[in-house]
Amino acid sequence: MSDETSVEPAARGDRIAGAVLVVLALGAWWHAQSFVAGFMQPVGPGVFPQLVSVPLGLLALYLMIRPGINHRWPSGASLCRQLGVLLVLGTYAAFIEPWGFVPTTLVTAVLLLRLFGANWRQALPYGVLLGVSLYLLFEFALGIPLPDMPGLGV
Amino acid sequence: MDVLDFLVHGFAVALQPQHLLLAMAGCIIGTLIGALPGLGPVNGVALLIPLAFNFGLEPTAALILLVSVYYGCMYGGRISSIVLNIPGDEPAMMTTLDGYPMAQAGRGGEALGLSAVASFVGAIIATIGLTLFAPLLVKVAIRFGPAEYFALFVLAFATIGGVTSGSFTKSFIAAALGLLLGTVGIDPATSVARYTFGWYELYDGIDYIVALVGLFAVSECLLFLERDPDQATASLKVGSAVPGMRRAIACAPTIGRGSIIGFISGVLPGAGASLGSFLAYVLEKRWWGTRGRFGTGDPRGVAAPEAGNNAAAGGALIPMLSLGIPGSGTTAILLALLLSMNITPGPLLFEQQPDMVWGLVAALFIGNLMLLVLNIPLVGLFAKMLQAPAWFLMPMVTLVAFVGIFSLNNSAFDLYMMLAFGVLGYLLRKLDIPTVPVVLGLLLGGQMEFNLRRAMSISGGDWSILWSSGITIGIYAFAVSLLLAGLAYAMVIKKRLE
Repeated sequence: MSDETSVEPAARGDRIAGAVLVVLALGAWWHAQSFVAGFMQPVGPGVFPQLVSVPLGLLALYLMIRPGINHRWPSGASLCRQLGVLLVLGTYAAFIEPWGFVPTTLVTAVLLLRLFGANWRQALPYGVLLGVSLYLLFEFALGIPLPDMPGLGV
Repeated sequence: MDVLDFLVHGFAVALQPQHLLLAMAGCIIGTLIGALPGLGPVNGVALLIPLAFNFGLEPTAALILLVSVYYGCMYGGRISSIVLNIPGDEPAMMTTLDGYPMAQAGRGGEALGLSAVASFVGAIIATIGLTLFAPLLVKVAIRFGPAEYFALFVLAFATIGGVTSGSFTKSFIAAALGLLLGTVGIDPATSVARYTFGWYELYDGIDYIVALVGLFAVSECLLFLERDPDQATASLKVGSAVPGMRRAIACAPTIGRGSIIGFISGVLPGAGASLGSFLAYVLEKRWWGTRGRFGTGDPRGVAAPEAGNNAAAGGALIPMLSLGIPGSGTTAILLALLLSMNITPGPLLFEQQPDMVWGLVAALFIGNLMLLVLNIPLVGLFAKMLQAPAWFLMPMVTLVAFVGIFSLNNSAFDLYMMLAFGVLGYLLRKLDIPTVPVVLGLLLGGQMEFNLRRAMSISGGDWSILWSSGITIGIYAFAVSLLLAGLAYAMVIKKRLE
């Protein structure tokens, strides 16, 4: 894989993942019991999920006992930038409809460029360029109606 | 009609101006995506799917575009391997071993030219293989019943360890997780809502496209944020690619062997292009022994893996088109595209949509030729584009994916879902759990369950129907042997790493 910057034994990550997956498998198995079987159907809606959750649970248990390798987890600065990107994109998703495509996309593009390491003097012009080209591409070249700005026709 | 007639008909479809234009665009975009470190074929094709939908392309055109991107990525992956010593994608990993030393010695142009020809030959051999073998497989598969199909799905999942070179446990965990995620939504047979927890947005199930753009593209973007900002963007002098073409004639036997090995590993379910290039390189090295200078800039070390991975890319299309079971991550995404357009690949596709299948095959031949022509003179340009600043490239890619997904349904829920899958994909990749099996599980789970239930209602609830025919037993035996081979392969890799 392309992200093999560093591989180190990290039992904890695998153990936590294993535990989460065991709980997920148990939950899925238990919840599948509530699916009502149809009339004259030898295999109801609950069978296949249960069939899948058994190996999932067993393998996850094995992962807890014999954890493998993990890639290096991010440190403070990268983690902040990652959370920042998620926050920006999440906010974008929340505001794209009420606020309209153009303003939200412009703000998002500038902030993303900034988070990916551009300085303000690069982020502002290129962010505006990116936002405007996306608008032109989707609205006119592809002919897709994008959410308008409230009160304006754009 | 026999294959040749179909193929002629296919060329008539593929040579339509719109299709030619799309193939051309796909080849260029694909080469670029493949060349950019980190953006592999899986991510590249995943990103373009929403765009293909937005263009309102009909299925044949969309498929031609994406398959050209797919082949283009395979060509492009080698450029950054050779010029920067960073594989553009996973299958291009082996190309760095001899390609970069050649570039350091000032023979970068030769390596690029040689690998372009090797890629071309590999891809053409695989496309010929596709033309010949896919119809044969279809003839067998047309007799398959639900029990046989269920066995095929078991085969696909049993061999999934080969898709990724990681741990077997983790690959199977990923597949099971994908299968479980695939059951979310209204059960089509009984209309029971499964794991929806009252969210009506989940009633239709998890949208494949949303999930896979999240798993691949968004997670890639998150991973990118923790890489070193300026990894070797030093500009090496590339030089002319012409001497590489002459070198290719000398390397013809190597290219031939690499192509055949790659093709076979591509056809095997779950093996894919990485295995193809790995085997082609290792076997070629073994073949020459001490007579080769592998690892220090031997041209054959560039020719073999490039022929191998391009041949595997073509081979992987065979199970996807003729059985509906993808052999690699990228073909899984192509399958997602087809399913989203209400087209189910499989033997019936060849009967009902010959235009599409044979148009696609013809487009592959044409696309390859375009790629070769593009790659010889333009390789310096592509190498230069690798130096575009990442701070612009990554936000652009992210936003195109984001707006593309949003415009599919104009739904903010899809965006949140994509972000959630992005975080999931990121965590899985950090844990070294492969993401491709998750997608395969998500994609194939519905069909797998459907066939299981149909088989069971035929037998009236008798489970032994699943292993009652000769074909099913054969498939299970094949699955077990591939599983063992995969285990052996994993051990070889482990030894090699130590």
